[in-house]
Amino acid sequence: MEILTGILSTAFLAGGVLSLAALGEVISERVGVVNLGLEGLVALGAVTAIAVTMSVPNPYIGFAAALGIGLIFGIVFALATVIVRADQILCGLAFTMIGTGIAATVGRPFSGIPGAVTFEPVVVPYLSDIPIIGPAFFSQNILVYFIFLVLPFGVHFLLFKTRHGLNMRAVGENPAAADAAGIPVAAIRFVYVSIGSMFAAGAGAYLTLAFVPSWSDGIVAGRGWIAVALVIFARYSPWRAVLAGLLFGLITAVGFVGQALNWPISAPILGMLPYLGTISLIIVPAFIWRNKRYRSAAPEALGQAYYRSVR
Amino acid sequence: MNWRLQRLPSANPTAALLASVAACAAALLLAAGIAAIAGFNPLALLGQVLSLVLGTRFGLEDFGLLLTPLILTGLSVIIMRRMGLWNIGAEGQFYAGAVGAAAIGLFIDGPPAVMLVVMFFGGAFSGALWIAIPALARAYAGVNELITTLLLNFVALLLVYYLGTGPWRDRGAGTLGSTPRIPYEMREFWGIVHWGLPIAVAMTFLVAGLLTFTRWGYEVRISGANPENAQYAGIPVRRRILSVMFAAGAISGIAGMLEIAGTVHRLQGGISNNFGYLGIIVAVLAGSSCLGVLATAGLFAFILSAGIVLQTQGLTTSAVVALTGLILLFNAIGQEFARYRVLRAKGGDT
Repeated sequence: MEILTGILSTAFLAGGVLSLAALGEVISERVGVVNLGLEGLVALGAVTAIAVTMSVPNPYIGFAAALGIGLIFGIVFALATVIVRADQILCGLAFTMIGTGIAATVGRPFSGIPGAVTFEPVVVPYLSDIPIIGPAFFSQNILVYFIFLVLPFGVHFLLFKTRHGLNMRAVGENPAAADAAGIPVAAIRFVYVSIGSMFAAGAGAYLTLAFVPSWSDGIVAGRGWIAVALVIFARYSPWRAVLAGLLFGLITAVGFVGQALNWPISAPILGMLPYLGTISLIIVPAFIWRNKRYRSAAPEALGQAYYRSVR
Repeated sequence: MNWRLQRLPSANPTAALLASVAACAAALLLAAGIAAIAGFNPLALLGQVLSLVLGTRFGLEDFGLLLTPLILTGLSVIIMRRMGLWNIGAEGQFYAGAVGAAAIGLFIDGPPAVMLVVMFFGGAFSGALWIAIPALARAYAGVNELITTLLLNFVALLLVYYLGTGPWRDRGAGTLGSTPRIPYEMREFWGIVHWGLPIAVAMTFLVAGLLTFTRWGYEVRISGANPENAQYAGIPVRRRILSVMFAAGAISGIAGMLEIAGTVHRLQGGISNNFGYLGIIVAVLAGSSCLGVLATAGLFAFILSAGIVLQTQGLTTSAVVALTGLILLFNAIGQEFARYRVLRAKGGDT
């Protein structure tokens, strides 16, 4: 029982990083822009949060600073991909390198030092008394509630229950038709690509302020890329993206438990689980529904720049 | 003056080349500006880098040593680009090739000349094996190869770490996280530069020839440009995808083997200086031209050596990663600009 609670608790904590980053990617890809810079943005957010909280020991300020950095880099990414309309894959790879490079350079003085502050757990009265789920979910830090309850609901509502969300999806599916209907394609893409990047940086801040309270080079360890893959697995749905993040938290948690219980599998082999798991999660469904319209879940104009007139 | 911009479906080669050069210059200028703000003297740093990298025998040898893996990983990315595919996993295939070569070198005895050939093919085979799952998934289920190849990089790193600290670790005098020295070594032909460099150059010409002059290369290009048409014309697109991806994996694997047999001589974490990731930029800047790789690999070998020199100045290698990202970003923007041309209306009334 205690092990189960422990696994679930770690799963929520570890999954939060992936869920938040994946949500950002869902927003960005729904308006038609694939952001492969997630890995770099997560790293930037992580290092910003640690660096800021070293001088201002307040996790909220650290988190806000990371969001700000994410927004700034997101705006640059949106300028390159939406305004200039440069190749989205190249820009994404470039942002991964820029982000990881800057984060490692800036973060060197803080490397390995325990973070000054973390988000403290907020125990929800009554709900935390529920067996297993109570201690596992309702005694987490405030960001966990936000990521698993508020944000997916909000993003889902925005995308599927509002007029504006319909416009967003139209921009991602068929920008020419959206343009003809008077929807400002570039503006919508610009705004939501920037916001998506902000989410990714927030995921990084979550990593260093709530999950692993310290920075070291390589701490992001491909989480940004896993988040990109989860969006494909989640077929661009905010709820499924968050749940997929949780599933990955679960895999990570099983690895931790394995280490703690001295399973006869060495740590590096257990460490491969999240990557191998991600790969099988995007390959296996593609094979099962090979002949059905599995891939049509992707927004039709994903990855394509929109030109009003190609003459 | 009436003028408007026209976007061309593909960039003019001269404009594309100019855009690449301008992008590199802009990225380096921006980096120099940042260095100046951080309190370095960019001109003094540049002078130091130039004199140490290009002005000393030691620097030139280092440069030659870095060239080999960069040419090969760049080639590995390019061969897949010809088919419109992205190989972001050259890093992992590089490590896989190193693991395969190390396994042969550590556990099989034989005459050195034969063993080196066996290691070469072992490295190529391991690299190809490493890309097998993404390749099959791409060919038979249309799974995007970008993410699957990339995620396997992390697995390969963990595998090398596991072998170096676990079953294959050096039980002798204290090297941590590394296998024993592999007894079979590539000969050097100039200082510390081994025969891997001529092999890499020869492979570049070989791949360029295969892609340009053979039926296979033609079918690969057609399948990349328009898979439906290629299928309709009777080209076995799936088999071409598999062959291209296995070849890419094998080339990266060979890069890993040469690094093991020629430079490092032990399997350990960090033997790849981000060569796999740099291969992407090498390929992109070369405009997917095989022979162009020789030039762009040279550029990045220089940047990497500069990074080593600058470490003595307190700059980290991570700064080099950020700089390469900046070059890639500016290049992506430049390539878009290179597609436009200005049209002047000739005495017209529009």
